[in-house]
Amino acid sequence: MSEGRPPDPLGRLGKEIERAQAQRVRKEPIAGDRSALQAGLGVGLRIGIELVVAVVVATGLGWAIDRWFGTRPWGMIVLFFLGVAAGMLNVYRAVTGVSGAAGYRTPPESGTGSRRWDDEDC
Amino acid sequence: MAIEIHPLEQFQIERLIPIHIGRLDVSYTNSALLMTIVVVLVTALLVLGTRKRALVPGRWQSLAEMSYEFVADMIETNVGHGGREYFPFVFTLFMFILFANFLGMIPYSYTVTSQIVVTFALAAVVFIGVTIIGIVRHGFRFLRLFVPQGVPALLLLLLVPIELLSYFIRPFTLAIRLFANMLAGHTMLAIFAGFAASIGLLGILPMGIDVLLVALEILVAALQAYVFAILTCLYLSDAIHLH
Repeated sequence: MSEGRPPDPLGRLGKEIERAQAQRVRKEPIAGDRSALQAGLGVGLRIGIELVVAVVVATGLGWAIDRWFGTRPWGMIVLFFLGVAAGMLNVYRAVTGVSGAAGYRTPPESGTGSRRWDDEDC
Repeated sequence: MAIEIHPLEQFQIERLIPIHIGRLDVSYTNSALLMTIVVVLVTALLVLGTRKRALVPGRWQSLAEMSYEFVADMIETNVGHGGREYFPFVFTLFMFILFANFLGMIPYSYTVTSQIVVTFALAAVVFIGVTIIGIVRHGFRFLRLFVPQGVPALLLLLLVPIELLSYFIRPFTLAIRLFANMLAGHTMLAIFAGFAASIGLLGILPMGIDVLLVALEILVAALQAYVFAILTCLYLSDAIHLH
């Protein structure tokens, strides 16, 4: 797209393609704009297990760490609370539609994100 | 009543063709057989369905095209640009899980996805793959995923472990969600069938519930495949558009 302007008919085609692509880009939001049913069911089925698994896995990990390093019971205690926090974080993100992201999305950052898309344009 | 039904019997692994390599047991089991059938069926649907390449698709071709468009759309909305190249992977995952779930609904067949080994293997592939994609695309910047911005340094000590944990929990939630849903649903079906068989004429009631449950299970089978695929998309989107 960065090449020089070709003569008229091709130029018009190019413009049309650009417009169509812009429309497609607009159609693809990071979160939110999915069809309501899809989003609802997807989110609903996710969050049920999210919290439980986070706590169980984290506590299990803590137990294993304790076994390896002989730090009983501290690993398990600390990781239990971390697991609860991580589980809640995951649920919160699933519900608020911030996708499955780890890390926080900040609005100014999304500018660089969208530029990346254009670079990878097919 | 002497009829005994074991609700968990259906998940028994049976060795159809015992194969042992050294001390390794790589027997061809009923689970492996079902997976083979799944792969054959999916391949058949797509290859035979699209063989004619008709402009106006027939029944099979529209089925193949619909599944293609469904997943393509899913990637388009959830990953956006740059997600296209991962279409084959997501599509394979989706079709495999969908067919495995559906085939499990046939009486006397076997539900592959009710084995946590299978679902965890799938989830691990997704997790490792996505992590590698993220690292290859962004290098060290990928680690920024675990560092929330605009947070005092002291709080980072607490937040980074939480972020790490919530990232590494992904494969587990992914695997356990699918596995638990399939296991629970099929066990419930068998339990109600057991009631129906053991209480005689009154068994018509649990029988009726079972019929309804089958409908629910079919919904769950499709939905779980969808959820698995869409979460894969979301994870991919995280790795591709690092924020």
